[in-house]
Amino acid sequence: MDEWKPNSTIKPHKKRSWYLAWKYKLMNQRALRKLCQTGAVLFLLVTVIVNIKLILDTRRAAYAEEEESAQDYDDDMLNVEVPRHPVSNKKVLDVEVYSSRSKVYVAVDGTTVLEDEAREQGRGIHVIVLNQATGHVMAKRVFDTYSPHEDEAMVLFLNMVARGRILIFTIKDEGSFHLKDTAKNVLKSLGSQVAPFLSWRDMWTFVGKKGGEVYGEKHAKSPALSTWGDPVLLKTEVHLTSVEDAECHWPDTELNRRRKRFCSKVEGYGSVCSCKDPTPIEFNPDPLKDNKVFNVPVAVIAGNRPNYLYRMLRSLLSAQGVNPQMITVFIDGYYEEPMDVVELFGLSGIQHTPISIKNARVSQHYKASLTATFNLFPDAKFAVVLEEDLDISVDFFSFLSQSIHLLEEDESLYCISAWNDQGYEHTAEDPSLLYRVETMPGLGWVLRKSLYKDELEPKWPTPEKLWDWDMWMRMPEQRKGRECIIPDISRSYHFGIVGLNMNGYFHEAYFKKHKFNTVPNVQLKNVESLRKDAYETEIHRLLGEAEVLDHSKNPCEDSFVPDTEGRVYVMFIRMEQEADFTTWTQLAKCLHIWDLDVRGNHKGLWRLFRKKNHFLVVGVPASPYSSKKPSSVTPIYMEPPAKEEGAVAVPAVAAAEQT
Amino acid sequence: SVKQHVVRKFLSLISSHNIAVYLIDPLILELVDKDLEQIRSSPDAPSPECRYFCAPRDFTTFALLDKTWKHEVGFFRTAEKMGFQWLKIINKDPRLDGMDDLSGIEIPLHYVFKLASHAIHLVVFYERSGNYLWHGPLRLKQHMDRKFVPFRKLRFGRYPGAYEKPELLLVSIDDLKVQIPKNPSSFLEEMSHSRFLECRYREARAFFQLYPDDASLDAVEFRRKAKSLLHLAVLTLNNLGVKFWLSSGTCLGWYRQCNVIPHSKDVDLGVFIRDYKADIIPAFQKAGLPLKHKFGKVEDSLELSFQGEDDVKLDIFFFYEEADHIWNGGTQAKSGKKFKYLFPKFTLCWTEFVELKVHVPCETLQYVEANYGPDWKVPVKTWDWKSSPSNVQYNGVWPVDEWDDVIQIY
Repeated sequence: MDEWKPNSTIKPHKKRSWYLAWKYKLMNQRALRKLCQTGAVLFLLVTVIVNIKLILDTRRAAYAEEEESAQDYDDDMLNVEVPRHPVSNKKVLDVEVYSSRSKVYVAVDGTTVLEDEAREQGRGIHVIVLNQATGHVMAKRVFDTYSPHEDEAMVLFLNMVARGRILIFTIKDEGSFHLKDTAKNVLKSLGSQVAPFLSWRDMWTFVGKKGGEVYGEKHAKSPALSTWGDPVLLKTEVHLTSVEDAECHWPDTELNRRRKRFCSKVEGYGSVCSCKDPTPIEFNPDPLKDNKVFNVPVAVIAGNRPNYLYRMLRSLLSAQGVNPQMITVFIDGYYEEPMDVVELFGLSGIQHTPISIKNARVSQHYKASLTATFNLFPDAKFAVVLEEDLDISVDFFSFLSQSIHLLEEDESLYCISAWNDQGYEHTAEDPSLLYRVETMPGLGWVLRKSLYKDELEPKWPTPEKLWDWDMWMRMPEQRKGRECIIPDISRSYHFGIVGLNMNGYFHEAYFKKHKFNTVPNVQLKNVESLRKDAYETEIHRLLGEAEVLDHSKNPCEDSFVPDTEGRVYVMFIRMEQEADFTTWTQLAKCLHIWDLDVRGNHKGLWRLFRKKNHFLVVGVPASPYSSKKPSSVTPIYMEPPAKEEGAVAVPAVAAAEQT
Repeated sequence: SVKQHVVRKFLSLISSHNIAVYLIDPLILELVDKDLEQIRSSPDAPSPECRYFCAPRDFTTFALLDKTWKHEVGFFRTAEKMGFQWLKIINKDPRLDGMDDLSGIEIPLHYVFKLASHAIHLVVFYERSGNYLWHGPLRLKQHMDRKFVPFRKLRFGRYPGAYEKPELLLVSIDDLKVQIPKNPSSFLEEMSHSRFLECRYREARAFFQLYPDDASLDAVEFRRKAKSLLHLAVLTLNNLGVKFWLSSGTCLGWYRQCNVIPHSKDVDLGVFIRDYKADIIPAFQKAGLPLKHKFGKVEDSLELSFQGEDDVKLDIFFFYEEADHIWNGGTQAKSGKKFKYLFPKFTLCWTEFVELKVHVPCETLQYVEANYGPDWKVPVKTWDWKSSPSNVQYNGVWPVDEWDDVIQIY
């Protein structure tokens, strides 16, 4: 804000709300600038509080009204509906676009549709897509083209936008450093004359129709490397077209009606809205024979990542044996676009008023979603819990159908999860193989109702406790020694790279190379051997047949495991007591598997694959399987690196919190 | 007859969309009940006259189980093509009402399909926690056509209702194949006492704003025990066929905070003395709840107490009806003193409490106020059952020679 030079061309637009006008006027007077800086924060707070109160009051009032009249049946007058805003028949939209170092805004017919003046946020090119017939905002994106690859994402996005839509561009701070020629050419093809010459710290605004006319463009060059271009304000008019022209002419079916509603509201979903050959929104995967999970409710936990949700639901609805009627999507917040996605697929969605902040917010959302699920399906003994950033394997329900009886009958089980924390491309091999593990992986799992209702729900962390629900569930007080069943090859894939505890680096390092089953109808083997006692027999059999590896070699080297296939090998590592994971963590690190905390163990035993051989790791002497160690073998000890080396790029918090 | 014609058309409409409905029309079920033997024994006999569906009335009422259909829009389009005009009544989903801050779905509660001079009232039933079916009230919104049908004559919808899941029977009446409750007379009996009260979730939330909930481990544990004790008690009494309701502190907990009050020490139920059965004590003992004490006798001030898990006890108070009030008694063991607790007369409604379908007095506020006074909204941790209640009266002393009988402590 310090750098912001008042510009005489900026006058508050007549129709803009009074407080904005007042704010800008204040800012024009130098004497008041100091006051403004401190005042603005306070003012914003007050505005937010007033608005929240207003919303709450309105909701409460509506409720009260209904209650009152509900008491008298004969009065049968209820739920007075608020009249919708009259749709203006105006054919012209006034558009205002502002670009500067520290602030951007876009106003359409006096309504602010974008306003970003947050510090150290929102850098790059902001893009808004308007419906050419209604003027409604269909998409809002920001591409930080100061950073690499963001321009590619922008090109991808712009290519997905349908012809005829109104596109609005504005730069905040810097948007040219990594804006490559391809992207510049796309902007040029949209009619921008400035785009090809955009450079360091230039300010730029542009309004145009995709595949059509240009409504305006303004540009301010940065005079020197160390300074920014002057703020620019573009005011222009956009002529609206008729609704007919803005829509595709798909055959009039139930499905296409849903498609039409969706495509007239939002943009950026590609071929689902293509006029010529739209991608299907109904999938009709093969039903499963003897599907034991057909009537198990599926709760999809979602935030405001509608593109993720779209991808997730597509894969879920394509999985064999899916029952769309049992799916409920729980959206954390009153976001419209995720709800539009839910409705596109004809599913039911429920919005949840956010409670608390950060991890506690997620945790409260989980609780509300799980309680609601069991309320809505009172007959259900289980619930499948999914998140919006997962791909679901084609045999997800088949996997559950074959294993769910274990969760019902074996009380030593805590959950069934579709995710193997240690199942990477190079460490997972057998789609028919299941394990028992002492950790709870999450990421697509089945919860027993009795566990939730009798144990978890009554003592779920309250909003003021900023705990992760999954970390809490993993605590010994909750897990009580019970185990989860997981597949060797995961039945879910974690694709989200934007999230509360997630970033690109983290995803690349720990999730990208995760193996994901794509084979349909996998027949699981030895499901019965997953029961508590049978599993011990199975492990002993396996250890009995396993060949002991050469412990004089370096276990991190590829040559540690012979060049064979389909054999069973065992190695012994040092593990002084139950909680000593020193060597395991080092081994996990060098094998490039999950090493941020301990996952996938069963009584001091880890099972994975190396070079297509089953590879067992036993922690000696803590593991009860230590007796299988030949006396000649000395367990391998690996020292943790010195502190400085240990400082990895992953923030400790993210590491600990990540599922 | 027009009525029969409309019903026939409606049945063909729903069967063309594979939707299962069952007949709950009280008027027709009464007629069917009279001929039930005959209808059952000769299911395919052609009927000589239109005996049931032609009876004079404005509506024929059917029930639809929500979970058995897919809310297809095509269904309504077919209905329109067949000449039906239809109306949908939606409202908030009560299954989510108890939950803070969830919103998003309104659910269909009633449909009315009108054709010529007759209408079909389709009541949507939802499964709820506590293994029962629920239907919502019928409330018209402002923009709706109030004259669409004579709404006041509808037999369902004045209040929400709770029902057991019925067993169904496929019968042929007036040459129409239709599902009916297997036992029409017990369905009709159930219907007359079906009124359902939703817990006052909004007020409960306000209460917790004022007095934050006790989230201590002790409170969680007590609630768990109280809940499992109540589940066991409900199962036992239902098996015996003894009607009961939530009383005293348990009723207050439901009414004030939609939950068990964590600092209460027991679970309280009320039973009308006319519903008393001698089997009650052995049945509870069999269920693993030994008798702790028995005060009074069937003729006067009867009160039973059973021992649940870890000191949580179950109190059953028996209520005696007088001309203008109802009362139950209390006895002080050491002195033989008798007390009397007076309540205004009340009827019973269904509600849902800790995943159970149970009765509460419909006139709950009067009941709670009689018991706890006008300040019932304020939590009180020290409570003396002999002096604290607003409705307690001293009621003399048991004659000493009766003590062995009326004061039994185990």
